Amino acid sequence: MPQSTRARSAARAAVFAPLDGAGRAEVVERRLSDAILLGLLAPGERLPSEADLSRQFNVATVTAREALESLRGRGLVQTRRGRGGGSFVRSKSDAHLEVIEERVRGISRVELRDLGVHFAALAAMSAELAAERASGDDVEGLERLVASFARDTDGAARRAENTFRLEVAALSQSARLVRELLRLQAEFGPVLWLNLRDQRYRDRSAERQAAVVTAIAAADPAAARRATLEHIDEAVECLVDAKAELEARSP
Amino acid sequence: MSSVAQPFSEVAAVARPFASVLERVEAWHESLSALLGSTGGNPTVAQVDALIESLVVPDLSERDTLIVGAGFVCAPGFLSSAPWHLSWWLGKFNSFGAIGRGGVTRRLEASEDPGSDSFRDYTLLEWWRVPVESGMPHITGPYVDYLCTDEYTLTLTVPVYHAGALVGVIGADMYAEDVERALLPALRAINGGATLVNRVARVVVSTDPHRATGSLYREEGLLATLKSLDTLAVRNIAPVLWGGTSLALLLELVTA
Repeated sequence: MPQSTRARSAARAAVFAPLDGAGRAEVVERRLSDAILLGLLAPGERLPSEADLSRQFNVATVTAREALESLRGRGLVQTRRGRGGGSFVRSKSDAHLEVIEERVRGISRVELRDLGVHFAALAAMSAELAAERASGDDVEGLERLVASFARDTDGAARRAENTFRLEVAALSQSARLVRELLRLQAEFGPVLWLNLRDQRYRDRSAERQAAVVTAIAAADPAAARRATLEHIDEAVECLVDAKAELEARSP
Repeated sequence: MSSVAQPFSEVAAVARPFASVLERVEAWHESLSALLGSTGGNPTVAQVDALIESLVVPDLSERDTLIVGAGFVCAPGFLSSAPWHLSWWLGKFNSFGAIGRGGVTRRLEASEDPGSDSFRDYTLLEWWRVPVESGMPHITGPYVDYLCTDEYTLTLTVPVYHAGALVGVIGADMYAEDVERALLPALRAINGGATLVNRVARVVVSTDPHRATGSLYREEGLLATLKSLDTLAVRNIAPVLWGGTSLALLLELVTA
């Protein structure tokens, strides 16, 4: 029932969706670390207990424990004992940035561009359909949402990007598009929006979102598509530049 | 409310699936009101949850039900020990968060702590806002509900009052595809064809296969007609407006 004026908890729900297949501890770890990097799990927030994680992901308790240990090892969570204890998201943004950079290094340029194409396809189609299908109320809601975004840190700007994409996708009226975008955002989101470290790109992101909203308000699918593609292309180009720079710094 | 075309039996048949869901919701509403009465409007969280579970779980388990999620959402501050309380259950056919599992009726886990990042002020959402403003049952959607059903959904909600004060909304979720299956035969029985739209003229289901569910029915003057619940100002389309549900049935007029 609860509708999607704020996409955040939706994305969070996807974070804890049950898993099947091999390498479960790694998948649990990846999901949680991506959620932390995306800011879906906020600094200081308590993660579900091992028992709850194992139930939600549908994995063995020992698998959940293994994933938590590895997150601890990477400095993303810390564990406090006793009453009110548990695993908490650490607030060290440097550690977060390091983890993102490590991922950017680990993904080939070919794969980065391919992820960019996949993401752009989903986002552009969402924007196009949203422009055809958004009602006046929807446009007002979207304008309010964009106006409410904080963009003073990279974490806040990333959250704004993810929330914005999901909200536009929801306006497409396609449940499949929304689900695909949620999945891809969890996989690729933290990496794609690396450029939001830079305030210049955070301002740019606000401008681009405004352009998409204007196109949706004008019921102009072609313009909505164009503004979306330009924005994502730009993020991908920044990303491959950043990767080249990282590799030049320490090959 | 004025309506142009008199409701006739074919039109009533279209309303039936929604009417039966509304009937269930009103039955829960009555039991909840009884609890509110017996507790002087001051039930405990446990009493509310136990009652709602006992009411909605049997309906969610029915074989042919349209209801895939149901429950009661408290007005902020109504329960003093749980200021933002959701007492909501998901049916076993509800696929939300159930990849590779599913098949069980379960409670929706929602954040009730306003300080938490996943907390959402549900009083801003249509399924809360509209029925609370109108005091009437309201059908929200179709919309992509990726917070609760993960599907293309319609939500029927009814405001609940005690001693004149709002205490929450009670309601049920339906999948758009189930609604399509349930309504199409009745729509097809209408001579000339018909399209069911919501208050923003979004198509719920149509006899015209090219009018996609979720698309907007764009027709000069239609939005104003739907908004004012006023008489027909639309060429070739006769809207039959249903009291309370905020849906309208657009009948394609057969011109001789």
